[in-house]
Amino acid sequence: MKTALSNTLVARGLIILLMIVTLLPFIAMFSAALAPQGTYPNGLQWPADPQWGNFVRAFEVSKMDQLLLSSTLIVLGVVPISVLIATMAGYGLAKLTTNKYKWLYLAFVFGLTLPFEAVITPLYYEVRALGLLNTRFAIILPLIGLYMPFGVYWMRAHFLNVPHDLTEAAQLDGATRWKEFWLVQVPLARPAIMSLTILLFLWTWNQFLLPVVLVQDPMQRTMAGALGAFQGQWGTDIPLLCAGALLILAPTIVLFLMFQRQFVAALMQGAVKG
Amino acid sequence: MTAWLFIAPAAIAYAAFVLVPLAMSFYYSFLRWDGIGEARFHGLTNYLTVLTDPKLLQIIGNAFQLVGYFTIIPVLLGLAVASVIRGHMAGPFGTATRTILFLPQVIPLVAAGIAWSWMFASTGVVNQGLRAIGMSDWARGWLGDFVWALPAVGIIGAWVLLGLCTMLLVTGITKIDPSLYEAARLDGARPWHEFRYITLPGLRQEIAVCVTLTVISALASFDIVYISTLGGPGITTTVPGLEIYRLAFAHRQVGLASALAIVLMVLVLISIAPIQWFAREKK
Amino acid sequence: MRNQSRHALRIAALTLSVAATAGTALAAPSCGTDPVVLNSYFETGFPLPTRLAEEFTRQFPNVTFDIKEDQFANMMENSPRILSEPNAPDLIRVPSITDLVANNLLRNLDADFDALGWDQFPAGQLVQLRVEEGGRPRGTGSLYGMGINYSMTGVFYNKELAAQIGMTEAPKSVAELDALMAKAKEAGILPVMQWNKGTGGFAFPLQNLMGAYGAPEPINDWIFQKDGATINTADNLKAAEHLEGWIKAGYFPSDANAIEYFQMMSRFMGGEGLFMFNGDWESGNLDTNAKDKFGFFIMPSLEEGGRHASMSSPLTFGISANAANPECAAFFLDWVARNEEARKINVEVGGSNPGGPTDLPMPAVEPGSVTEQSLAAGATLAQDNGAMDFIANATGAIFAAGWTPELQKMVGGQQNAGGLLEAVQREYETQLSR
Repeated sequence: MKTALSNTLVARGLIILLMIVTLLPFIAMFSAALAPQGTYPNGLQWPADPQWGNFVRAFEVSKMDQLLLSSTLIVLGVVPISVLIATMAGYGLAKLTTNKYKWLYLAFVFGLTLPFEAVITPLYYEVRALGLLNTRFAIILPLIGLYMPFGVYWMRAHFLNVPHDLTEAAQLDGATRWKEFWLVQVPLARPAIMSLTILLFLWTWNQFLLPVVLVQDPMQRTMAGALGAFQGQWGTDIPLLCAGALLILAPTIVLFLMFQRQFVAALMQGAVKG
Repeated sequence: MTAWLFIAPAAIAYAAFVLVPLAMSFYYSFLRWDGIGEARFHGLTNYLTVLTDPKLLQIIGNAFQLVGYFTIIPVLLGLAVASVIRGHMAGPFGTATRTILFLPQVIPLVAAGIAWSWMFASTGVVNQGLRAIGMSDWARGWLGDFVWALPAVGIIGAWVLLGLCTMLLVTGITKIDPSLYEAARLDGARPWHEFRYITLPGLRQEIAVCVTLTVISALASFDIVYISTLGGPGITTTVPGLEIYRLAFAHRQVGLASALAIVLMVLVLISIAPIQWFAREKK
Repeated sequence: MRNQSRHALRIAALTLSVAATAGTALAAPSCGTDPVVLNSYFETGFPLPTRLAEEFTRQFPNVTFDIKEDQFANMMENSPRILSEPNAPDLIRVPSITDLVANNLLRNLDADFDALGWDQFPAGQLVQLRVEEGGRPRGTGSLYGMGINYSMTGVFYNKELAAQIGMTEAPKSVAELDALMAKAKEAGILPVMQWNKGTGGFAFPLQNLMGAYGAPEPINDWIFQKDGATINTADNLKAAEHLEGWIKAGYFPSDANAIEYFQMMSRFMGGEGLFMFNGDWESGNLDTNAKDKFGFFIMPSLEEGGRHASMSSPLTFGISANAANPECAAFFLDWVARNEEARKINVEVGGSNPGGPTDLPMPAVEPGSVTEQSLAAGATLAQDNGAMDFIANATGAIFAAGWTPELQKMVGGQQNAGGLLEAVQREYETQLSR
């Protein structure tokens, strides 16, 4: 009994320590964000005269409202289409093809471990040839393609687990297939689709390399890309930088706290399957 | 036929923005090209450079050193935590833990880089802490130190990945049949033996997942380095991702950049393959 | 019909001669009267270009600026890519122009030179901005950039700390400078505050020492990519060894490799460090934010009374080859050098010589200010004809791939003077062979 209790205490202590380590950088940023502008704050300390105005100024200079809009537009351009075509392909690969087409599936899976850096140079020239540099499409279109390996892999795995008799009911012709897909399969796949949506949202919102290379204007970038530009422009002013960084983080963190369970589930499953 | 209609949109997107660029990367890697003027065929010279130039080899080596931090710290710490807190994750305390430990997964790596640059600054929290416990001699500009910059970058990555690995392992451990532990205890097994013969084999899958994820994020790292050190001091923290970006867009050596990109892709594949094989073997 | 056209010709000729006497040619670049948005890419942390842009908009309300900023190291790496894109900036801060010219990314300003009468500017001001076709050598050929002002590097000092160690006047030789540093060290004062993270700030003291040990001409040849030029000379080796001596003596902060430029400024202004090797672009900043606390002197020569030489270069701006409003941008660059208000802002905010025609009066500066001292140092430098371009501007990538990492190694005790010069020379040759 006693050892069990002390075990619990040790366990809790360890977790709390881990939580502190996780939170410390955020707290450090927060304390620095309240220091007077243009100074170099000294470590972690509650400033004598907290400068809440730094957040207001960071909001203004970062043009947060426009950034939010830009990131939202990019997410709206990437996520629904990606989820839709990945779901279709997942279904197609799981239910409509025989082993003969395993190679197609493997071709998709091949992209799972591909570092984005491996294609960023040609992507630049490709996007430039399309005349899309410095537009949101420069991020949207490549991301849809880059998400396909994971998306297809994910949805195929889901559809493989759907019992076969469901599909055998509606055989043959294309129109019926299409109907069955929308009316039967998609509703059943909602949890998998939901998780995929959350993951793609996060990955898009936080995408950095593509905006850095393909889009110069921070107002056309993702949040992470905009944060990079913000650091470039205001990185010399630590309090302002920290205030701006926290502001830019805020929307994701708020969303995360609201849908904590769904996010955690999605991230964990995403990790296991990916 | 219907199958094709379902698969085609995804296949087209994938081909247009992954397969075609990849093929182009491969093609560029045999060229000598500044990205603007005329390109010349350069044979295998670029690959030879990647595999012999001491600078580029050091840069590739840096990525593998990062694996040490990105992978080993989260997996070992995660294992330790998981085996201790087995079964303590229910209720509101569990929810709070999950929420907090997942925070680094939700924020952009850029933000992690900014936060930790400030933590590691000369006047930052790390040095403040060291001074507070009387280790002023240890205080330094971590990200500018030849010995410590790479480990510091590694710590940033470990911080980002720790929560995810821990939670994966904690979840994995709850799936292990509790009766195995009870039986072991009745046999008088020591905690270490429990860990060695029950926990570790039971977590094989989860460990493989953690290792795969973290190895990829170490080898393909870019964001954190770009923000926190820009590859310095010297080239002690330059990683292939950053060097590809620099070679291609700043130094205008598109061919060499592409060769390095292909090599990086292959290195990732080679590193991941044995882990996948290991996970599958005893399933 | 015939008569009419002759008439028209006469009018045209008349206008032409009127325009010529007024000092501008007929089709001189201007910003017109239609709304113009100048797409601009400036360097973070330096308010001067933005202030000038604001004043310009005040005087020419149809012109507004869309300004993006980035840090120096990023600019160095990004500029080739940004300039090669379709909506390339009209105005861009270009630290190094040779590679950009080689790739035809910058507008040839020869026509603007004629149209705007830049022959009235001292030719020496523009030398560093001339490049031969194909990108090398520099120093002759067509004009590809303009300086917004003409700055020089030297040594800033903290007056209070100087008084503490009994420094009453600027050192007249390198030995005197050494002695002051040693004295400061003894008194527990940090002798030099210098940055070395992001970009290699130790290039400033190094180049100052190079100028003290040897003549500026061979160094300029190297920077201008003249055939056979090398940085690895006996004089430069002595300079690098001298710098290494300072590092080993602990004259710089031990965490210099972790100090970024603006952190250095903040710490130096906060009273940390007796000296700081930096450019007079900070003079205005120091005068405004820390009045009477700091001074400036030119790097002393090796022996008293010797020739002074120092890094002195224009704050270079270029116009993209495919800019949307190149003429307006050229007009802006001309305006910066000639307009009275612009010149005033230039000296007050920029702290450096605004350039432009020699017959224009220099805006008044406050007596005893850092700006006054740095302008005086500039005059000394001009007298000794000792201006050198920045050693980091030799090629587009030599700073990022050569000087910065090697200087960081030197500070970290991983590189010696000879190895530093050898490594940089090797990198330089590799880059030129591409």
